[in-house]
Amino acid sequence: MNALEARLAINVGGIGGFHVETDLVHERGVLVLFGPSGAGKSLTLQALAGLIKPERGFIRVGGETLYDSDRRIDVPTHRRRLGYVPQHHSLFPFCSVARNVSFGLPRRERRDDHPRVVQLLDELGLAHLAAARPASLSGGERQRVALARALAVQPRLVLLDEPFSSIDGEGRGALRAVVRATLDHHGIPAVFVTHDPEEAIALGDKLVRYRRGASTETGDPATMLPMAARLSLHAEMVRVVSGAAGNGNEVEIALENARLRGPAAVLPVDGAAQVRLHLRRAGDQRGGENT
Amino acid sequence: MNYPDSFPVLLSLRVATAALAIVAPIGIALAWFQARKNYPGRTLIDAAVLLPLVLPPSVIGYFLVVLCGRRGPIGNWLLSMFDIRLIFSPAAAVIASAVVALPMLVKTAQPAIESVPIDLEAVGRSLGLGPAAVFLRITLPAAWRGVVAGLVLAFARAIGEFGATLMFAGNIPGRTNTMPLEIFAAYQAGDDERALMYVITLVVISCLVVMLATRLNPREATA
Repeated sequence: MNALEARLAINVGGIGGFHVETDLVHERGVLVLFGPSGAGKSLTLQALAGLIKPERGFIRVGGETLYDSDRRIDVPTHRRRLGYVPQHHSLFPFCSVARNVSFGLPRRERRDDHPRVVQLLDELGLAHLAAARPASLSGGERQRVALARALAVQPRLVLLDEPFSSIDGEGRGALRAVVRATLDHHGIPAVFVTHDPEEAIALGDKLVRYRRGASTETGDPATMLPMAARLSLHAEMVRVVSGAAGNGNEVEIALENARLRGPAAVLPVDGAAQVRLHLRRAGDQRGGENT
Repeated sequence: MNYPDSFPVLLSLRVATAALAIVAPIGIALAWFQARKNYPGRTLIDAAVLLPLVLPPSVIGYFLVVLCGRRGPIGNWLLSMFDIRLIFSPAAAVIASAVVALPMLVKTAQPAIESVPIDLEAVGRSLGLGPAAVFLRITLPAAWRGVVAGLVLAFARAIGEFGATLMFAGNIPGRTNTMPLEIFAAYQAGDDERALMYVITLVVISCLVVMLATRLNPREATA
């Protein structure tokens, strides 16, 4: 069963307005909607969330139909169980961080010390800020709170609309790692909108490219995006630590003078990259994963 | 100087409170509707809400008498159906005050609600909140300063209402003689001392209200 299947035609502004055609299939992990601003990525996300009504098409999440123009199905936003993290104005300014995270819980469970709230705050490195007001947080902290709040209600899918766009370069890399780890840990699939190729590669399992109001191609982020955004590894191989024992094509090797090259925002700030290489049958090395 | 009859003071407070009780739900709902809904004729309603603020109170009083007087459509219906005579009653003073107070609330609360980011409400909906819960748990708390400031100003306008009240509720001692009417009556009768006491009372109430409203001056609700 797919995490998300959607085929949508969206029109805003009536005749002569903006038109978006999109076709999405997502199995697991993070699906990146990639493209320049004004290409229709955010509108797609808003349609998935039920915030705008598409012209026609369907949306299926985990096998359940949330929208189908032919069958006249249109589940309202508050019954879709999809997490939503917007670009700006994401936190409720009138309550504390912990209260923000517990906001969507049913009334009887809505407590600052609800186990899920405590765990999420801890996981996202926000435990010390539980009592803080949103106005006192940094941009990165705010977006982590917004993610924690979305995950607290255990959604079927999380929608993130350029959540790191207002955060400076250095913080972004660390933020990506935390977000990716948290999503993986909870096993919740996500749709992530970005126009930043580094971000798309660092976070995406699959990428859909948007151009002028249409999703054009789908594939692996690392192969679809320009070379400039990819990592390169320069090293001398010292020895093979463990061979391809049973599990196919994974080999652990020891390297010397290893240097991982790539955009700073993709690499961890402290530079201590751990690299796992996936070797193809022909023996050519491809890509590195920094953890 | 002895303080004169306290009935007009208590009546004024009661009338303004009752008017506020009527205006609050209507005004807040109207402010929300105008701030969040887009429909043809929206600007027309925006302008119409302002009318009681710009029309002379005697004109408002005239319309109220025409509509709710014994021969008016609403007045006649109330009389025949429920045997209620609205005109020259304390209830008429409440209605007159409510009509002039409505624009104060709507025009203060509406920009406050407009300034609540749509994304904030979108997040609330995605968290499972229905439309009523989004309004009560997100929009209202985020816009509360402007809404409370609007309620305070509406109360001040209601307690000071004179012209429409005089025409619609009359000035019946012990029944509809609110402070503003009493000031006029006392002044006309040459009882300046009595007029002054009510003037001071109204000035003190108005000053308190304005101070409160200024302290609540809506600030942008963002995070």
